[in-house]
Amino acid sequence: MSKNKRVKKPVRTTWYKLDLSAIVYPTLQRRDFSSVYRLSVLLKEPVKPDVLQKAVDMVLPRFPTYKSAIRKGLFWRYLEPNNRPGPFVQRDINNPCMPMPFKANNRYLLRIYYYDCRISLEAHHSLGDGTGGMYLLQTITAQYLRELGASIRCGGFVLDIHEEPDPGELEDAYMRYSNADVRPPRPSEKTYRVRGTKEPFYTLNIINGILSAQEVKKVAKTYHVTITEYLNAVLLYALLQKQESENPHRRLPVRIAMPVNLRRFFPSKTLRNFITMIYPSVDPRLGEYTFEEIVLHVHNYMQYYINEKLLRGDITTNAATQRHPLIRIVPLFLKDFVVRLFYTRVQDKNSSAGLTNMGALKVPEDMIPYLERFDICMGQPFSSRTNCAIISFQDALTIGFASSIKEADVERYFFRKLVQDGIHVTIESNRETS
Amino acid sequence: MSYCVHCGVELDPSLKKCPLCNTPVLDPNNIPYFETSSPYPAQRGKVEPVRRKDVAIFVSVLLLTISLTCGLLNRLVFSRNLWSLLVIGFCLIIWVICIPFIFYRKLTPYFAVLLDGLAVSFYLYLISRLTGSADWLYYLGLPITLLFTLLLEIFMLLTLKLSHSFFSVTLYIFSLIPLSCIGIELLCRNFLGSPMRITWSAIVLTVCIVFIIAIVTIILLPRVREEARRRLHF
Ligand SMILES: [Zn+2]
Repeated sequence: MSKNKRVKKPVRTTWYKLDLSAIVYPTLQRRDFSSVYRLSVLLKEPVKPDVLQKAVDMVLPRFPTYKSAIRKGLFWRYLEPNNRPGPFVQRDINNPCMPMPFKANNRYLLRIYYYDCRISLEAHHSLGDGTGGMYLLQTITAQYLRELGASIRCGGFVLDIHEEPDPGELEDAYMRYSNADVRPPRPSEKTYRVRGTKEPFYTLNIINGILSAQEVKKVAKTYHVTITEYLNAVLLYALLQKQESENPHRRLPVRIAMPVNLRRFFPSKTLRNFITMIYPSVDPRLGEYTFEEIVLHVHNYMQYYINEKLLRGDITTNAATQRHPLIRIVPLFLKDFVVRLFYTRVQDKNSSAGLTNMGALKVPEDMIPYLERFDICMGQPFSSRTNCAIISFQDALTIGFASSIKEADVERYFFRKLVQDGIHVTIESNRETS
Repeated sequence: MSYCVHCGVELDPSLKKCPLCNTPVLDPNNIPYFETSSPYPAQRGKVEPVRRKDVAIFVSVLLLTISLTCGLLNRLVFSRNLWSLLVIGFCLIIWVICIPFIFYRKLTPYFAVLLDGLAVSFYLYLISRLTGSADWLYYLGLPITLLFTLLLEIFMLLTLKLSHSFFSVTLYIFSLIPLSCIGIELLCRNFLGSPMRITWSAIVLTVCIVFIIAIVTIILLPRVREEARRRLHF
């Protein structure tokens, strides 16, 4: 209680500008769509909700940009500290990543669920990216385990909750690094889009594949590429097959939108968004691609694009629009209108699927024995397509597909290719199976 | 531990079908176990409804104020006839039209249209009471309202139950427009005592038939459809 009072004081003066990526997400908010992602951790024992709630209450003040509400200004939206009660832990549900209306849930843009041995965190993307969310989830998990008697030291993704928040954790790191002298143009073209029967509102189909990280690594090595490059190639291969089966005569390029974690190249402690998109693609109009050719192509593309210089150019291009004085003085509702139009007409058509790889997670030594694995879900896709998210912990590599269409063709082609390459895949799903 | 015979993936024990290809899991040597708990909870979540109460209250208060002030003005100042009934009736129509959008979102669209039709009929009845004339109401007003309500219901049924793509919706509109025109012309002629035949609505009908044939061709020929979709997209 006394702690709450301490935090309450700076309420009036503290507020946070949305970071460069976060500006777009609230604009796309619809009654049936929010940019929400989910991170889950599987413990070895069933979760005790009251202890989890206690841990959440203790941890959240350490994350001021997550304990916040979104508000509208005249020109931009902003985040404001939220001292309403909550967020409360809830029993998990079948349809994760539901839309998150800004005024519901006591204005929190977070949801914390428990089910059996699993703790899940859902966060609106305007608060931060997956890395930021992972800090929050692991800090909550560590505190939960401490409450149950474990002793876990801080470090890695587990922050010290008795420390004051570091200003570096709250910064908009884009602004610090978008300082290239040129703004490389961003090519965009119409790409193949998955067609399918839309599921009714509120349904999100999840298909989770659980693989052995070692096995995938070994297979990727036979192609001389990394796991990310290999799985990207498999997804492109699956999308090509899907396009071929739908309409062999009218082919379009197949393209994946993949976020790159910029913290790898630009040192920053930020818990907010710090990612940029790259678009590995193949164009079947140039001729048949064999799988080996796709792998090589993806490998070369990534080698070329993912480096500090080109990424700096990319974020400079992104920031330029936001910094433009004419754009800044346009009222918010006009900005919303234009951004939404641009997103549905251009940006959304610019890729056939999304893929994100959180990579191999680092977890404090003391916490490892309590954890089984991590799951990730990229959330509801904006249009009818499927999103793919990958995360690995120890030897468990989870590939989570989330889609709002009935057909599971892309997923099927994807996992069959993995099986063909000799990888053992275990499938879990929330799809109706009766 | 079971594998999908088509995909070669191992399936979680809770799955009775392969989620990738829908092939059921069949194991003749194993009696199906019923109580394997799924890694996903069965309970479905619902989004907390966004509060639209504010808008609903605002609209209701606004309409009610207009009705009341007009009623009072009518009673106390300009009390020659009951003109305020027209304003009040109009406010009522707006309120009824607003119901599915801001008051009660779960209202089925069919019922909403029916309510709209009833509100308009009631308004026409008020006018006829005020003007003291009833002929036009029974021979023109009510039948036309009924006709439009019916056509709107058909339109709803088609868009909700059949396809609601751009071309299909255009097709429905072009089919329903001549029907409404013919209906209006016949009713007018009946009211005026002219011979029952169609003149101007025949022109509308012809034009619409041309459009209908064009659209049906587009819908039936996928190649033409793709081309038209690209050229006409907006
Ligand atoms: Zn299968």
